[in-house]
Amino acid sequence: MKKQLIELRVNGESCELAVEPQQTLLEVLREDLGLTGAKEACGTGECGACTVLIDGKPILSCLTLAIEAQGKEITTIEGLAKAGELHPLQKAFIQYGAIQCGYCTSGMILNAKSILDENPKPSRDEILKGLEGNLCRCTGYNKIIEAVMAASTGKD
Amino acid sequence: MEEGMRIPKFEYFRPSLIEDASSLLYKYKPEAKLLAGGTDLFVKMKKKQVLPRVVISLKGIHKLDKIEWDDKEGFKIGPLVTHEALVNHPMIREKFDFLSDACFKIGTRQVRNMGTLVGNLCNASPSSDASAPLLVLEAKLKLVHLYGERIIPLQEFFIGPFQTVLDPQEIVVEVQIPKLAPRTAGSYQYLHKASCVGETLVGAAVLLTMDPKGSTCQEARIGLSSVSSTPIRARAAERILKGKRLEEKIINEAAQVASDETQPRSRPWYRREMSRVLVERAILQAMEKIR
Repeated sequence: MKKQLIELRVNGESCELAVEPQQTLLEVLREDLGLTGAKEACGTGECGACTVLIDGKPILSCLTLAIEAQGKEITTIEGLAKAGELHPLQKAFIQYGAIQCGYCTSGMILNAKSILDENPKPSRDEILKGLEGNLCRCTGYNKIIEAVMAASTGKD
Repeated sequence: MEEGMRIPKFEYFRPSLIEDASSLLYKYKPEAKLLAGGTDLFVKMKKKQVLPRVVISLKGIHKLDKIEWDDKEGFKIGPLVTHEALVNHPMIREKFDFLSDACFKIGTRQVRNMGTLVGNLCNASPSSDASAPLLVLEAKLKLVHLYGERIIPLQEFFIGPFQTVLDPQEIVVEVQIPKLAPRTAGSYQYLHKASCVGETLVGAAVLLTMDPKGSTCQEARIGLSSVSSTPIRARAAERILKGKRLEEKIINEAAQVASDETQPRSRPWYRREMSRVLVERAILQAMEKIR
């Protein structure tokens, strides 16, 4: 299949690249742009490890065509820190030990960011429901929830 | 990434008019698939269950992501409207709260942001959550093809597990939901499997209309998903409620009859029992909402 030239906006920067239609956003982010924060685990939309934000909303990059992500604002975990300063959620995840193997972390943090952007003070239940599509096989859920709660209240 | 998790190659089209999408479908059927949210299609393609030579994306077509309200005709929901959009739509939350409850149950936050209501209906899973509420709302689907269109009740759309009457050259361009009669409310109750995606084990939707005095039931509709080869209406149970005062005995009887109308293939005893329990709960909650 012929490659097509597309333009993606990732973490505020535009880049042009040639892709085939069946290439997923996840493949292009990881293999063409070297942004390996988003992970592939199940590949079928159940685990949330490939979560990135498109126009601020969490989506599964393993089930999104790169070609269809044109003209949208894509945010990956690499785009969260500003001027060398970690995002409050990233700090909270470190502070609360909410990272074990780290494989689910980028998806967890990006989804949590979109939850807090929509509702800055979610209840514990709202966080649980919001993060239901992000699986952690280390089962560190309690610490993850605590970290998101802490980031939402702004406490260290 | 291992090859198995990649989407097989296809030719990609992104028409900007519905007519062009219809022409492409006409030209490439049955080798073509329509793309809306992609949450079902790409999983099936990765698993090599579906291998279209051509994928036609609907995303370039203007206004297909719109939810429109008309005072006479009710809602018209386009094929690119996501579950999340339905969950967040103020008028749907207000007038059809049990439909947004069902949409909130679907998938995960990420899946709801991608997956569309129409795509979910076209996938025709017997356990589709939105189907039960849409059946009791007597929703209709508008299907278009290159040379015309037809409007069919959702009830007639499903013909078996993952099977619909949709012709390979047709596109579902609209879900039509009629406005509600006064003194009407609905409820959606469900149980789900304890798995990571929480597929629905039994889903029960009830829509009730009470008479002006609020004592007698004028209209009753019961929809069930995941308990038959397609989502169904429990018509015999509905007849028990219509024209009656909704007292405990009548409600119990209707719930039992609804349960008898199901034909679950796996875990039949449990699914029947839960159908009875959930229909009863949905009737009580709908009554509570009308009060």
